[in-house]
Amino acid sequence: MHLPAAARWTIWLASLGVLCGFAWTRLDVQHPINTDILSLLPGERESPVIAAATERSRDAFARQLLVLVSGKDTPQTRSAASAAQGALLAAGLQMDDSGRELGRLLNTYQTHHFALLNAAQTARLDKGGVNAFATDVAASMASPAAMVNVFESDPGGYLSRFISELPRPYPDFLPDGPYLTAVRDHQRYYLVNMELRGSAFAEQGATLAAHAVHDAQAAAHKVCAGCKFQATGASLFTNAARDDAQHEIQWLTIVSTLLIMTLIAFVFRSLAPHVLAALQLVASILAASAAVIAWFGSIQILTLVFGTTLLGIAIDYAFLYFAEYWFGDSAPQSVMRVVRPGLFMGLLTGVVAFAFLSLAGFPALNQIAVFSVAGLLEAGLVVVLIFPVTLTRPPHVAVHPAAVWPQRFIKLACRPHRWRYLLPALALLLAIPGWLRLHTSDDVRDLQHFPQQLIQNDHQIHDTLGQIPPPGYFLIEASDLEQALGREETLFARLRQTLPDATLLGLSRFLPPVRQQRASLSAWKRIFASPLALNRAFAHLGLPVELAMRIESDWRAAAHQPLTAQSLFDAASDLNTFVIPAGSNETLLASVYSRADINPAALRQAAAAVSGVSFVAPLTRITDTFHRIRVRASWLVVIGYLLISALLVWRYGRREALRMLYPPLLALGVTLGALGWLNVPVNIFVLVALILILGLGRDYTVFLREGGAHLQSSALAVTLSALTTLCSFGLLALSQIPALHAFGLATLVGILASYLSAPLSLPTTHGGLA
Amino acid sequence: MKYTHILTGAWILCAASAVYAAGNIPSSPTGFDSSFIQTRTLPGFSVPLVSRGTLHIDNTHGFRWEITSPYHYVFEMDGKNAQERLPDGTIRHLNPEQTPWLATVEHILISALAGDRTDLQRYFVVNVTQLPMGQRILLTPKPGPMANAINNILVTETAPGHPQRLVIKDNSGGSMDIRFGPESHTASGS
Repeated sequence: MHLPAAARWTIWLASLGVLCGFAWTRLDVQHPINTDILSLLPGERESPVIAAATERSRDAFARQLLVLVSGKDTPQTRSAASAAQGALLAAGLQMDDSGRELGRLLNTYQTHHFALLNAAQTARLDKGGVNAFATDVAASMASPAAMVNVFESDPGGYLSRFISELPRPYPDFLPDGPYLTAVRDHQRYYLVNMELRGSAFAEQGATLAAHAVHDAQAAAHKVCAGCKFQATGASLFTNAARDDAQHEIQWLTIVSTLLIMTLIAFVFRSLAPHVLAALQLVASILAASAAVIAWFGSIQILTLVFGTTLLGIAIDYAFLYFAEYWFGDSAPQSVMRVVRPGLFMGLLTGVVAFAFLSLAGFPALNQIAVFSVAGLLEAGLVVVLIFPVTLTRPPHVAVHPAAVWPQRFIKLACRPHRWRYLLPALALLLAIPGWLRLHTSDDVRDLQHFPQQLIQNDHQIHDTLGQIPPPGYFLIEASDLEQALGREETLFARLRQTLPDATLLGLSRFLPPVRQQRASLSAWKRIFASPLALNRAFAHLGLPVELAMRIESDWRAAAHQPLTAQSLFDAASDLNTFVIPAGSNETLLASVYSRADINPAALRQAAAAVSGVSFVAPLTRITDTFHRIRVRASWLVVIGYLLISALLVWRYGRREALRMLYPPLLALGVTLGALGWLNVPVNIFVLVALILILGLGRDYTVFLREGGAHLQSSALAVTLSALTTLCSFGLLALSQIPALHAFGLATLVGILASYLSAPLSLPTTHGGLA
Repeated sequence: MKYTHILTGAWILCAASAVYAAGNIPSSPTGFDSSFIQTRTLPGFSVPLVSRGTLHIDNTHGFRWEITSPYHYVFEMDGKNAQERLPDGTIRHLNPEQTPWLATVEHILISALAGDRTDLQRYFVVNVTQLPMGQRILLTPKPGPMANAINNILVTETAPGHPQRLVIKDNSGGSMDIRFGPESHTASGS
């Protein structure tokens, strides 16, 4: 291509500019980066109800911050809790305005108390009439439990019982002012329940929560040095994970960048490779992101993470060019011609392999496919268009002896020696027991690393509170609210049988179905139908007749209407949390808490037994999503590899193609064996590493094969690619974060194996290669 | 979730629950037996409701509160289970976990009967007046949930652990006055 430099720059910048401009017009400005992992599941996009319910459930959980202050001395511990609460409020966390909402809620229940008899109470009044009612009033008056007359107009104690049957947040903790408190093992515990204003997963929210907890701990210990302070919440875990990741990534990035820059400087003794490689990297990521946004409107966070990693392959093209330019025999004007076959073949096989991922049918893999293909093409474009017009003068760099070591290694490995066959066979033999020990994991919890102290605190707090977070939630769908409430009651009745100690949370616990409320009102109507009979029944038990008259007067004054959902939500808007907006249908969200972990199978079984009810376990869904992505992507990689094999057969013939395919597969086998030996599970991160290994391994064999007479430069390019990959991704094996550790370890072993086995793709020579 | 606070708040209305939250049952008498006369004054009613009955507490059978007149009513609780026998003979089982104030009542009474001031002082301002025979103890709830419902509790003892009278005044204007019979008997223990 004999284009002038200006034309090349113009074409390159214009193509990138058009792509970015088009992407800008398609960008979802509100959500440019999509962090919702559940949307990776194809079915998820078809179920907005599940998405909305999951978001609601997650937000409620994620914003909560629980602080537990404990000590032997009650007043001191309470003061410490108060100081901690003050510090948390001062730091910007909030407490609920529950006092006012509570007042409104109880007023609402009070107003509608005639509608709130349960089925058993209704049946009793229906059967026993005025005598049964008088008896209940007498019992209420006589009971030692009714010594405190909380509800003046609740002489039968019915409303008290309704209130008492409302679900309790923490079974063994009872209110003491703004706190909940209990005694455990001679220690007084105070619970301070706070909420974050923003998202717990955002940096701002997580940092604020961590600082607030730090301040609260200091404040509590200032008041009571001997008190124990514990805190937990999603924001604290997010902050710890982010701090860990940032710390590790910082030092790993610094170390790997320094190593790579030193290596490039040592070999090329020039600034140009740094600048051009950086230009290629930035351009390829920009183009890849723009292509994804142009196609999908936004970009998944996983696409950015995995896609950028996979684009590490693109640096191979740059090294191929640099090696030939600096150390090859060609004149600068001929470098492109020499490297073109290797470059194009590497590009073609890479694009085909990644394009295959788009057939997975998963949004995430579609995006990664588009990202990788666009990124590779852009990286190739930079090499083809820009490198030849920037590296135009012959380099004046003396060839360092180290620059010829790769060539010597290749030649050595290509001697017809028995070790050429024995070593790979030995490596495979050693790998076989590892394969048998290999196991998979798609649980996202296995990918994370949190400080032990934080995990311990979380377990202790939930143990103390007697409330273990549930594994999921129920969705109750029906044509109207009444039917939904009825289904929820049926579900709860089943759960009470299987999980008698569990706390059931749902709207039906706060709002009886209208049919029950109407039955309650009818029962009362019959009671007050004959005031004289009521008076006689009261008198018969020695109760004041005036009391009967006053109750009857209250009945006459009351609105004989059921309590509606709207009235309830007007009083306590947070109860609306249980209702999921879902078009024309009514959908309720319900949950179940317990003192111990609940087997999700029991919940799933209970849900399956009630029409319109389903059990949703978000964590399981994420795990399933990762599992399906991993399995499907694995098959696509295999199919893609077969297609690449066909390309290689077409280009090099069957015999040579088979030899070229052997080293990457050998590297893959050795890597899987090593992972098995080291007990590292195969997860989605490892799969990405394996794709990277196969891609780079394939590039190595293609570059060496296409290098031909230019073995020195192609061997150097392959060596530099391997070393830089080891410096960047291989270092991640040192990470404490399981996901990064597994990825780094797989890359470390895989790239080493790919590099060492690359010479096997070349035929043996008696006197070495030319 | 915010609604958990609403529920928390709802429980604040079960005012005496804070006492139950004290956790440990105070050192209790091994037994207490007495007849009593209960006078309940309701706000807005000039004539109080007077009933008679017996109270029995022991470590084996727990707490038994029986009204014998003007109707028959029994309340029994052993810490884990509670039940009522209504005037019409109906037996009604209560779940103590759902009704913590039942245990609260037991707790107040036992604290008062056992003369356990330390425990009561956590939640009440305890004012003791010496009488020629025994003491008069005025319990005024400290600011908090209890104070929302109870104005004060007055316990008159003829001797430590020998209550003669227990008066609970609630904030609605009503009151509960329990006078124990002279034959009341308390056996001290752990």
